[in-house]
Amino acid sequence: MSDAFEQLARELGPQFERHAPLALEGAALEATLRPRSAEACAAALGALSRAGVGALITGGGTRLASANAPCRARVRLDTTALREAPELDLDEGVARFSAGTTLAEIEAQLAGSIWQLPFDPPGEGGTLGGALASAALGPSFSHPRDVVLGLGIALASGVLVKSGGRVVKNVTGYDLNKLFVGSNGGLGVITSAWIRLRPRPERVDVLVAPAPQDPALTLAAARAFSARAVAVIDAALAPQSCAAAGSARAFVLELAGDEAAVRADRAAFAAQLGASDAPAGALAELRAAQGSGAVRFRVAALPSEGELLRGSLSAAGASTLVYPTRGLVYARFDASASSNADASAFAAQLGAVASAAQRAGGAWRVEAAPAALRSGQEVLGARDETLALQRALKRAYDPRGILNPGRGFGEA
Amino acid sequence: MSDLLAELRAILGAGGVLARPEELFVYEADGLTHHTARPSAVVLPRDTSEVQRCVRACRKHGVPFVPRGAGTGLSGGAVACHDGVVIECARMNRVLRVDPDNRIAVVQPGVVNADLSKAVAKHGLFYAPDPSSQQSCTLGGNVAENSGGPHTLKYGTTTNHVLALEVVLPDGELVRLGNASGFASGLDLVGAFVGSEGTLGIVTEITLRLVPHPERVETLLGIFSDVVSACRAVGAIIKSGLVPSALEIVDQRTIRAVEASVYAAGMPTDAGAILIVELDGPSAAVAAQVERARAHCSDAGAREVAVARDAAERQRFWRARKGAFGAMGRLAPDLYVHDAVVPRAKLPEILEQVCAIGDKYGLRLSNVFHAGDGNLHPNISFDRRDADELARVIKAGEEILRICVEAGGVISGEHGIGLEKREYIGLVFSEADLAAMALLRDAFDPERVCNPGKIFPTTRFCAESNPKARGYDRVEFE
Repeated sequence: MSDAFEQLARELGPQFERHAPLALEGAALEATLRPRSAEACAAALGALSRAGVGALITGGGTRLASANAPCRARVRLDTTALREAPELDLDEGVARFSAGTTLAEIEAQLAGSIWQLPFDPPGEGGTLGGALASAALGPSFSHPRDVVLGLGIALASGVLVKSGGRVVKNVTGYDLNKLFVGSNGGLGVITSAWIRLRPRPERVDVLVAPAPQDPALTLAAARAFSARAVAVIDAALAPQSCAAAGSARAFVLELAGDEAAVRADRAAFAAQLGASDAPAGALAELRAAQGSGAVRFRVAALPSEGELLRGSLSAAGASTLVYPTRGLVYARFDASASSNADASAFAAQLGAVASAAQRAGGAWRVEAAPAALRSGQEVLGARDETLALQRALKRAYDPRGILNPGRGFGEA
Repeated sequence: MSDLLAELRAILGAGGVLARPEELFVYEADGLTHHTARPSAVVLPRDTSEVQRCVRACRKHGVPFVPRGAGTGLSGGAVACHDGVVIECARMNRVLRVDPDNRIAVVQPGVVNADLSKAVAKHGLFYAPDPSSQQSCTLGGNVAENSGGPHTLKYGTTTNHVLALEVVLPDGELVRLGNASGFASGLDLVGAFVGSEGTLGIVTEITLRLVPHPERVETLLGIFSDVVSACRAVGAIIKSGLVPSALEIVDQRTIRAVEASVYAAGMPTDAGAILIVELDGPSAAVAAQVERARAHCSDAGAREVAVARDAAERQRFWRARKGAFGAMGRLAPDLYVHDAVVPRAKLPEILEQVCAIGDKYGLRLSNVFHAGDGNLHPNISFDRRDADELARVIKAGEEILRICVEAGGVISGEHGIGLEKREYIGLVFSEADLAAMALLRDAFDPERVCNPGKIFPTTRFCAESNPKARGYDRVEFE
């Protein structure tokens, strides 16, 4: 390893910053690379490949605990210095940002325009690159895959490539955008992205009501409105919203759109379900429920299975946040007192989540857990018949296994 | 080949294998008629198992194969190069399941696009991607091409509606990609597969997202003195943040062709262009949006803006758009429907340049296009038997692609690269970019036996990047 580090120091110069072992994600990282340009990022990856040294790729660090624990990572590749000037095309409603730009900075740059960034994942300081690599979701917007128009990607080979473009419709060549969004940095490092922005709605109202007892009614009610966020959340995760609803579970609805439509929906929602204005922190509670707590899981299934899933996960001891129209259930387990108990409890929780997902025909993943608990565990879901293809892709794009080694699906 | 034919007939029966020249003739091309290659055979499997067995037979005999739906594609993607076998999925045409509660449908690849919307209409649902060929194109073909259509401006293209796929891989193995929930473990293989132009495998089952019919639909018709003004209206609408479900422009030459045909829609033939603006959504919102759109059209110089009073009038407005390609059949034996995308703000200047290129080469060029997406379709009417005219058509097409790329655009928005544009893809992507795409191909089809010769240019790197490749992509010129 020392020979490899000497080689990296020779190739990369002062940007290869050796230091005392840094404990991150269960790995002891002995050096940090913080490239300031996409080209430098690609060059760093090329050098790591030649040296055969694995790197833990990090952005804002808000989603680190949502992948498999790394193995063989000796270097940290920090993407937060990838901060080239953005290209904003406000006539077109598209923009290009570097990966290290934080989502908050992007929102600030768009402030005052009619456009907004269609991402709202939880976590302060999260970067665009991290949000895309981890396919981070929030309460109000759909999957980031749907709004990525183009990517700059640094490959393990040391080559910088692009996929897609800046236009809103494009079938020129393979859609590598889809392959890289959500790939957890295992196939390459996203260095920049063209994003299709979304017009800001004229009006946004957040309402809260007691969660209907009948889950079919929840789904029907949710679909009846032009809502942007629709959630059913437990009091343990959303005390303010549940207090406002006067219920152990709150139905939170974010109405967003044209003034007239929001007003009409608001009146109908109040009449049908006794909804009232939500407390100011209602959406923040949803984001916090997704983004805080040491041990969290996400299960996706068909919307009709949402209540079955919620029941199973509640019975296993989880507090839940359900997005009924999206078929998504977030489950948070409170930590136990001792680490041994944590390990056995985590195994039991993982087993309960996996079997609930299987019964519902859905897919599960860990959203967060301490690295020690994830170590050696597959936390990205049930291994399925796609495993051979996924491994073939990993081998094709990262033949030396230097990109987030051990972190990807099927690599635990 | 005779051994392979015998094996295919054993799998499918004699009626499932076409091999006589007169049977193969119609498979020489898809909707792009000037790139032709005759397949060595066409097979018509009825189920997934038969597709698997056909693929394995082709591999055993070292013959490449090409999946095909209805053959309506416009980039030569369904043409069998290298004496390949066409595996046509048109007989796999059943809607297997409709789940209105979850708003999904599971279909075989040979289901015709428009038939799915008909099948689910009773549930108040429809399938949103609506390519112009939706009355005949198949959903399997739509997956291969990531097909769009007029309403993708709001609803997205095929990739935004595919949740899961069953695929026969190029080695004959069957694999399920994705999950009906839209979230699967690991990499987004569904996203990577959609739009891969039949080069990564053969789709045998598709799980699709359905969309509820909007509460209200309003259709505006803006009549403009020139196409540039219509483009300015589009730019103003986009810049305002309004998101219509469709924004379509038809230019004067097209209007005149339509009005002289059976598709005549009562459009003024002295108009420079018409703009169709369709808005849908909650009733309370749409009324205000109509007024905003009307104002943008007027401000851009529309001489008249009409709102369809009923469904019949809406259909009449759309007939001017949807009848365009049929109407052009009267102008010349062949029609080259080009496809490129530019940033929408660039539409006025690009349209002027496109028309100038048509004039420069003495061609009959008209434009009917998805303006809201910046997706141009310059249509060139020609006679491919006239070698000189064909050469000018090709040359003009190349120039159009170049100006679109220089404007920040790309060379295909919905037709794909196929055979047609494989030599132009280098205008958009570097060799390194293409090599990164080839890695995806290698993971699915390392020997490059599934629809070889498509997407990638016939330059050296494609053959050399992968030693397992059988050389079907190898150069004809180096």
